[in-house]
Amino acid sequence: MRSSPGGVSSPLPSLLVVWLLALGGCLGGPPEGGPVTLVFKYARILGSADPLPGLLRSFEASHPGVRVNGEALPWTSDDQHQFYVINLEGRSPGFDVMMLDCIWVPEFARAGWLTDLTTHLRPDELAPYFASAVAAATYDGRVWALPWNFNVGLLYYRADLLAKHGLRPPETYEELVDQVRRIRIGERDPALHGYLWQGKQYEGLVVNVLEALWANGARLLAEDGTVFPEPARAADALRFLRGLIETGVSPAWTTAADEELSRRAFGDGRAIFLRNWPYAMELFEGADSAVRGKVAFVSLPGRARGERGAGSTGGAHLGVSRRSRYPELAVALARHLTSEPAQRAIALGAALSPTRQALYRDPELVRAHPAMPQLHAFALAGRPRPVTPYYLLLSSTVQPEFSAALVGVKPPERAIADARARLSYFLEAIR
Amino acid sequence: MTRRDAANRRRGMLLLAPTILALGALTVYPGVWVLWLSLQHRIPIFDVSRFAGLDNYAFLAVDPRFSNAARTTAVFTVTSVALEVVLGVTAALAIHARRGGRRLALSFLLLAWAMPAVVTAKLFEWLYHPTAGLINVALGARSINWLGDPRLALPAVVLADVWRTMPFVAILCYARLLAIPAELYEAAQVDGAGRLATLTRITLPMLARILLVAVLFRTLDALRAFDIMFVLTGGGPAGTTETLTVYAYRALFQTLQLGFGSALSVVVFLLVMAVAWAYLKLLRAGTVAA
Repeated sequence: MRSSPGGVSSPLPSLLVVWLLALGGCLGGPPEGGPVTLVFKYARILGSADPLPGLLRSFEASHPGVRVNGEALPWTSDDQHQFYVINLEGRSPGFDVMMLDCIWVPEFARAGWLTDLTTHLRPDELAPYFASAVAAATYDGRVWALPWNFNVGLLYYRADLLAKHGLRPPETYEELVDQVRRIRIGERDPALHGYLWQGKQYEGLVVNVLEALWANGARLLAEDGTVFPEPARAADALRFLRGLIETGVSPAWTTAADEELSRRAFGDGRAIFLRNWPYAMELFEGADSAVRGKVAFVSLPGRARGERGAGSTGGAHLGVSRRSRYPELAVALARHLTSEPAQRAIALGAALSPTRQALYRDPELVRAHPAMPQLHAFALAGRPRPVTPYYLLLSSTVQPEFSAALVGVKPPERAIADARARLSYFLEAIR
Repeated sequence: MTRRDAANRRRGMLLLAPTILALGALTVYPGVWVLWLSLQHRIPIFDVSRFAGLDNYAFLAVDPRFSNAARTTAVFTVTSVALEVVLGVTAALAIHARRGGRRLALSFLLLAWAMPAVVTAKLFEWLYHPTAGLINVALGARSINWLGDPRLALPAVVLADVWRTMPFVAILCYARLLAIPAELYEAAQVDGAGRLATLTRITLPMLARILLVAVLFRTLDALRAFDIMFVLTGGGPAGTTETLTVYAYRALFQTLQLGFGSALSVVVFLLVMAVAWAYLKLLRAGTVAA
């Protein structure tokens, strides 16, 4: 009875109106005119104070009529990458300046998503930066991003324990293993771990294995594009890492450890050595830290009869979207944020290291972070991960293979061979 | 009468049109597009775009990472759904049998179910923490490498998933239990049925249909499981917790191989459709029999 014709037909017009309104809402573009607005996409910076809002306001003050919106990126690196890929591939003009993990720069440049900065830069403008940071921003002989903050793998050690046993920080992994054995015998503490590093199946594992490869004179990617040009040395490096776990120098849970898991265990005073990034030092020196005043760091060890150790470098770069409607202003903003005063403010407010070398001797910064001058030397020796547009393909293909070798389900030689075979199939489609 | 029927019919179609249009635009069109993509080598950022025929599917056929992911998906689905059904029915029977604490038990169950998968995964990440995790501390400070041991990682992930989704099964079953008429039990008692006979002859058969629905939902979810393993292990160690959807995500969004990734997605889609179809057939057969 209720579905009489009149009863049904009356809502139809209003239904149509709702539909049209919804459609109109979808099609409505941004309002034209008004002041210029730049959008800066970045991941929130952890630390005592976020210096970013202040830096954006100072850019607005020096550029009348320009507004800068700082918009937060998703939390994890994977999600940030996904966000950029969807928006850039979809030709979204939604942002002008982007914070990029340095491993994405060649990929985004190759995809045509970044503005070529080479012509915008003065010839010597990149000289104050770390050479490895500039190398990571360079693809095909052109510069695509400005290095913003810098990371390098370091060996943290318990200075108190080493001094107590009359030991100097190790220069080779063989020395490190020997020192772990001696200190453990002396301390008689079964709960004290030897050497902590990151062995979970993720990007951090690739970083750790790369450092082991380099120390052993092996590479993941040669200049001519060969994958694992020294397969025997690469397998040997993996076997050495597996050996650290098998012999108990590193705990069994290393295969599930990321930066924070290993950093916390070391910070609780439960380990002698730790491989981690510079950010950890500030946390070890915190007021409630169990290892306050007991921690120091050196460059990562090399191998006996091998090469000197080198930490892998990382960090964030600032790129300008090819879709930006105000490329000149966007480049100016990227320049402003990577300037010396801006990087000083970021290094003071947050535990991020600058990409400009002069800041490592800056009196104000050295007062706040006394380890800065020392960090400079190790940062100089750092090596970038392979600078290639297909780095993520490389990384995500080798991750399960490296992990399989570390947990002992695959012999290292086979892990290397399998990774090579898979990569050659995918790379064939690209080249 | 017939003219009015026709008018009603037209009006009905008109009212349905937005839904059908929206469904078509949102499911059929992207579905066909993915199918088309899967037949190509398509990596936009490298300007690769060419027809590949069945190349991507041929590679999947010999790809050990794919067969590993398929096996992991199967093991994960079968074990987690089986455990969820057993534990869910047990929990429903327990709640139904007791008077006291019923509300409390139900709210605890709902709490676990209401939590987003990512939050559950983070929670379990702490529970499984090798040195400070509650589970290892409870086991006498033994350092069991839950998420880093290739034999333990998948069971650990299954356990987290069962904890989160068992309440779904339990609450559906509990609702059905409330609807079983008391006369049935009285009659059974009169006939001298024991507790075991009552359970196997009355309660479980009455639960069968709702269980089939619950299992259908849970199986389809488990086949597409992503967030729990993505957060807990990222697919490791040694790829032992990498399901088909995690593999497809890595191909599509991390390495941007749209063609290859679409082929993976098509396989997952066909798998899910096949299972759904089989269940629906079972359900329909059950309806006819009942």
